[in-house]
Amino acid sequence: MIHVSNLTRRFGRKLAVNNISFDVQRGEVVGFLGPNGAGKTTTMRILACYLPATCGDVRVVGRDVFRDSVEVRRRIGYLPENVPLYHEMRVAEYLVFRASLKGLRGSHRRRRIDWALANCSLTEVRDRIIGNLSKGYRQRVGIADALVHDPDLLILDEPTLGLDPNQIRLIRGLIRKLARRHTILLSSHILSEVEMVCDRVLIMNKGAIAGQGTPEELSGILRGHTCVALEVRAAPDAVHPALSSVPGVLRVTAEPLTGEWTRAVCECEKGREVRASLFHAVVAAGWPMRELHEQRQSLEDVFVQVTGGAP
Amino acid sequence: MRNAGVLWRREMAALFLSPAAYVIAAIFLLAAGGSLLLGVSQNSGRAIPPQALLFEPLCAWLTVLTATVTMRLFADEKKSGTIETLMTAPVTDTEVVVGKYAGALTFVLLCCAPVVACLYLLDFMSPGIRGLDTGAVAGGCVFVFLFSAMSVAVGEVISLTTRNQIVAAITTLFTLWILLLGGWLLAALPLGLAGIGSDLSLAAHIEAFERGVVDTRAVVLCASITAFSLFACVRLLETRRWN
Repeated sequence: MIHVSNLTRRFGRKLAVNNISFDVQRGEVVGFLGPNGAGKTTTMRILACYLPATCGDVRVVGRDVFRDSVEVRRRIGYLPENVPLYHEMRVAEYLVFRASLKGLRGSHRRRRIDWALANCSLTEVRDRIIGNLSKGYRQRVGIADALVHDPDLLILDEPTLGLDPNQIRLIRGLIRKLARRHTILLSSHILSEVEMVCDRVLIMNKGAIAGQGTPEELSGILRGHTCVALEVRAAPDAVHPALSSVPGVLRVTAEPLTGEWTRAVCECEKGREVRASLFHAVVAAGWPMRELHEQRQSLEDVFVQVTGGAP
Repeated sequence: MRNAGVLWRREMAALFLSPAAYVIAAIFLLAAGGSLLLGVSQNSGRAIPPQALLFEPLCAWLTVLTATVTMRLFADEKKSGTIETLMTAPVTDTEVVVGKYAGALTFVLLCCAPVVACLYLLDFMSPGIRGLDTGAVAGGCVFVFLFSAMSVAVGEVISLTTRNQIVAAITTLFTLWILLLGGWLLAALPLGLAGIGSDLSLAAHIEAFERGVVDTRAVVLCASITAFSLFACVRLLETRRWN
């Protein structure tokens, strides 16, 4: 759906995007992650045919974004950062204008607008003036505009920027619903959001791609081994040797908690499943257990580590 | 060009939905109508055709009208960021330029129509004076059309170069006055350019048009400035895609 190879974009002397390459397959939901100024918006603007690339090959829906720009634009839906809208127009009026620009006419246009309004929960504000709507509604008007012509690919630049938690949840639900029918590329710096909705994550930093993969893969890349944490009712001195002897466990740290409980964290060999063995070891020792889980590194840790922020 | 029609409707809607356009139109109508009234009352008793009292002040006020109507065409879209949504829709640069141009020009011409109609109102209300010369009024209307077409094109290209509407309006106003009077200045200077100067002065051509003479020199001048401005507009919009 998207093919980018060796894309570079300069603004004067400043290098905004530095020789990046990536692909997005049909049906994928890909998250673009990175600190502010990493080059996410620039890359998305190039994909949406708003800015030209300085060099590199960019193909969207199988067409070159420079040579076949109008056709590419016909087949993508783009939500720019901060959602610029005509504030003096009414919601339905605005969508009629946008749908007409995108080549929709007559009853087909009416059906698509009704569909977009219903799916973005905008039906009750269709006759309101956009300038008087809350930010959450405006954001959804922008998404409705991006969707109205049923594009193959949706490019959403920070779709939840500046929204309250309820509105974020609503937009996230909408994106999940859309993911069934569309290929989606979205950018965000809210990590939990990307983790929740995206199949795959591209981390950008200083104009380059610093890491890519599924959220699980990214956690795996950074860590040489997996960690299992458990809590049992026994003395730390007894827990340490019992767990260390389990095959596959490399190192154990045990620390006492209140009420005779001990929390042990076992570093295990990468890719080896030791949770069942740990369980049997605890049962064999006759200790009550209240927790056993594999610690997954969150995307936030990956993000901080890859982009070189403060730990 | 199908999208140019869509953009034309959107431009018209933007003008008719904003209170600013009504204020501008009302002030323009008051100013142009007032100028006619003043001219008529000061020249009462003299044998001057009423259209000679209308088209010169009308063109002067038109510079203000077009500067204020065209200032927002692109400057506003750039400032509010809507240019990004507009240019990522499947429209060509030419469609955007033509659509916006047509919208602004329609509004300007709609504002001029009632002012010209004042002549007929004057004719209707004063049966004592000699009837209107339709040919002469038509000549004046042709000039108003040519001048509006040129002013809107000039205003559009200037609006495209800035994101500040005030800068766009003042630059447009200044440019239009240079186009109106620049020829006179050229002719007045001792450079031996009196001939070229009077050809280039649009203000000098108004007189011929309001007598019913459609002077091809003025037609060519206005048409070529209009065409050049629109062409420059499309190319300037295209520079966005350059590096």
